[in-house]
Amino acid sequence: MFNDVMGLILADNKKIGLGELSEPRALSAVPFGGRYRIIDFMLSDMVNSGIKNVGILTYNKYKSLMDHLGTGSPWSLDRKNDGLHILPPYVNSEASNITGDEELAGVLDFLRHSRSTYAIVANSNIILNCTFDDMIKAHESSGADLTVMYNRDALKYGHPCYILETDDKGFVKDMLYNPQKATSNKTSLGIICLRRDMLIDIISRQMSHGQTHFGLHSMVKMFDEIKVYAYEYAGTALRINSVQTYFNASMSLLKDETRNDLFWSGKPIYTKVKDEAPTLYFDNAEVKTSIISDGCRIYGDIDHSIIFRSATISKNTTVKNCVVMQDVHISENCHLENVILDKNSFVRPGVRLIGHPDYPVVIGKGAGI
Amino acid sequence: MAKTDVVAMILAGGQGARLGVLTKTVAKPAVPFGSRYRIIDFPLSNCVNSGIERVGVLSQYQPLALNTYVGNGHPWDLDRNNAGAYILPPYQRSGKSDWYKGTANAIYQNKDFLDDFDPEYVVILSGDHIYKMDYGAMLRSHIEREADATVAVYEVPWEEAPRFGILNTEGEDQIVEFEEKPAKPKSNLASMGVYCFTWKVLREALVRDEADPESNNDFGKNIIPMLLNGGKKLFAYRFAGYWKDVGTISSLWETNMDILDKPEDINLVDRSWRIYSRNPVKPSQFIGESGKVTNSALTDGCRIFGEVNHSVLSESVIVEKGAVVKDCVLLPGVVVKEGARLERCIVDFGTIIGKDVKAGPKIEGEGPYTNHKLCSEGICVFERGLKIKDGAEIPGNSMIDSDIDAGDKSVIEEKFRV
Repeated sequence: MFNDVMGLILADNKKIGLGELSEPRALSAVPFGGRYRIIDFMLSDMVNSGIKNVGILTYNKYKSLMDHLGTGSPWSLDRKNDGLHILPPYVNSEASNITGDEELAGVLDFLRHSRSTYAIVANSNIILNCTFDDMIKAHESSGADLTVMYNRDALKYGHPCYILETDDKGFVKDMLYNPQKATSNKTSLGIICLRRDMLIDIISRQMSHGQTHFGLHSMVKMFDEIKVYAYEYAGTALRINSVQTYFNASMSLLKDETRNDLFWSGKPIYTKVKDEAPTLYFDNAEVKTSIISDGCRIYGDIDHSIIFRSATISKNTTVKNCVVMQDVHISENCHLENVILDKNSFVRPGVRLIGHPDYPVVIGKGAGI
Repeated sequence: MAKTDVVAMILAGGQGARLGVLTKTVAKPAVPFGSRYRIIDFPLSNCVNSGIERVGVLSQYQPLALNTYVGNGHPWDLDRNNAGAYILPPYQRSGKSDWYKGTANAIYQNKDFLDDFDPEYVVILSGDHIYKMDYGAMLRSHIEREADATVAVYEVPWEEAPRFGILNTEGEDQIVEFEEKPAKPKSNLASMGVYCFTWKVLREALVRDEADPESNNDFGKNIIPMLLNGGKKLFAYRFAGYWKDVGTISSLWETNMDILDKPEDINLVDRSWRIYSRNPVKPSQFIGESGKVTNSALTDGCRIFGEVNHSVLSESVIVEKGAVVKDCVLLPGVVVKEGARLERCIVDFGTIIGKDVKAGPKIEGEGPYTNHKLCSEGICVFERGLKIKDGAEIPGNSMIDSDIDAGDKSVIEEKFRV
């Protein structure tokens, strides 16, 4: 546990789109795992590491993210000193050319005001339950200027991805973006740590070269100028790169190993509290191999699915291999398979909808079918 | 301090002795109820939903769990700048110090707390009932009728009236007499233990009552009759919604079952009158491939691989493959090992039911833990933090209590702290 580290989460990613799921919200605000948003994992990891000062860098569609984060109290980040800071883009006199997308200028002030020595910077498309103590230790003992976390997924999750090549001491000697063939199985997890003053230097330098967008891997790419160390993470890490990987990651929660590693390792994943009622399973409910959240009313059959809070599954209805988000209502006599239903969507009686496991159907937020 | 209209005081210091082992180490209002709540969530949420933001919680008996649970009042939005939830234990003062001697004395001892807010009205609540009530509507009726005190009443069946404190009224529900458990009731209006007082009037009565060494310092027995004799205006306020006392093992069990059998009565999904609670921070429920859950209420953190029927499960309960849980109330963290069969059991925090244990009314005879005084209707109750021996058979109406020396017949393998 340390007090000397601050966190910075990049709440969206211009390279990653989840179709209709990320249309109304930033990537990190996409609901995941029954009661969470993707950002809850990284935010909880930071809090569980003892980090008390976290900046969330956003550039658009951040309303649902702000609703979710509020004052930061679910993560104990509603503090007088430090705490949670949402950093929307803003135009600042330090930016050399105004494009309306000045993320870097926005973050610089926040970094300058912090008193910590180190910063952890993380993308928001990774779901894992870890603390950063070991990474910081490895960073210190390697003598690196910057350390990047990776695992050995190679191209398993497809594009976009960054493949790292390292020398025999573990320092990065090359980084490939979206290669057709992996020259190494080391894939960046999009989490770096470095000294805060160095981060400020790098950002200032990037700004003076006219850069406005905050790219975490643009810093890893500086391996020719600074010493970049690669740190391996061996635990469960789910990457969200596309609708397909989102669907696969959701379904992998139904495996005991994944669930135990992400949720029952002793480090809680915090999220916004909703105060829903307990879930009621009625007489003819048949539920198997599924994650069910509070406030649901279940009259029908659910198999191998993730059900979010306050959803209704009516009588004589079968839901199989589906992700059903908050406040979704599925009427009687329906059959849904391989479908992702976004928040507040509504399925009228008798609808039969079957997607392919490799290409799930997505029903957008609030849609009625 | 700013002038306040109304302050609520929740009497949460009672032991709740009739709940036996369930209140051995926690006060009754802190007992879990209805899968994701504690009993005190109901009066606390009612206060907030009624617009009352200053709430004193009077604790005395085993206050640790209750104080930790209420904490700074955050889950109920009771962490305001100049308002919120205030835990009020009895305290030492120069001169004489005392435990809370009775309900009226508990408020008397906190008259400084109330004087600081200088409220127009005080609402007195008990922490033993499950109900949703708008205290604001009661307060409006109190003000409109220019009452000195208003007592919430519930129309009970006539044959049950002798078990309650009964209010006899005249005309527009003006109270003329209070009778504690009358053998021949003249009315079926039972006091709910929910009072609204004009603070000036109550304050005077409390001071007089305290000076009387003969008094029991109780609202029903002493304060109400004193006000009636003094010619004050007292009215009954009729409440017709769902209202259940959970003071006994059988009523606690039945009221939990009401959530399954009559979900519309208490209607916990009503978003206009949410019942708030402290969140356990656990992942969603998981039902495994071998799991079967019907007619039950479950919440976060439950992991079900066996059969659960007509039961209410609190957070993080585990039911292993091959186990059967029927008509049960399982409190947070309970583990039911494979092959166990529980029927009509209330199992407290974290207790581990060993493999192939059988408990409930289908097991005949009596055992060392049989307790007809507190248990009825075949309900078994397990103390918290016990490991029950594999294969143990426990007949209905048992209360598994680690303080009972059952010798060889003990079904308790070990006791641990939860």
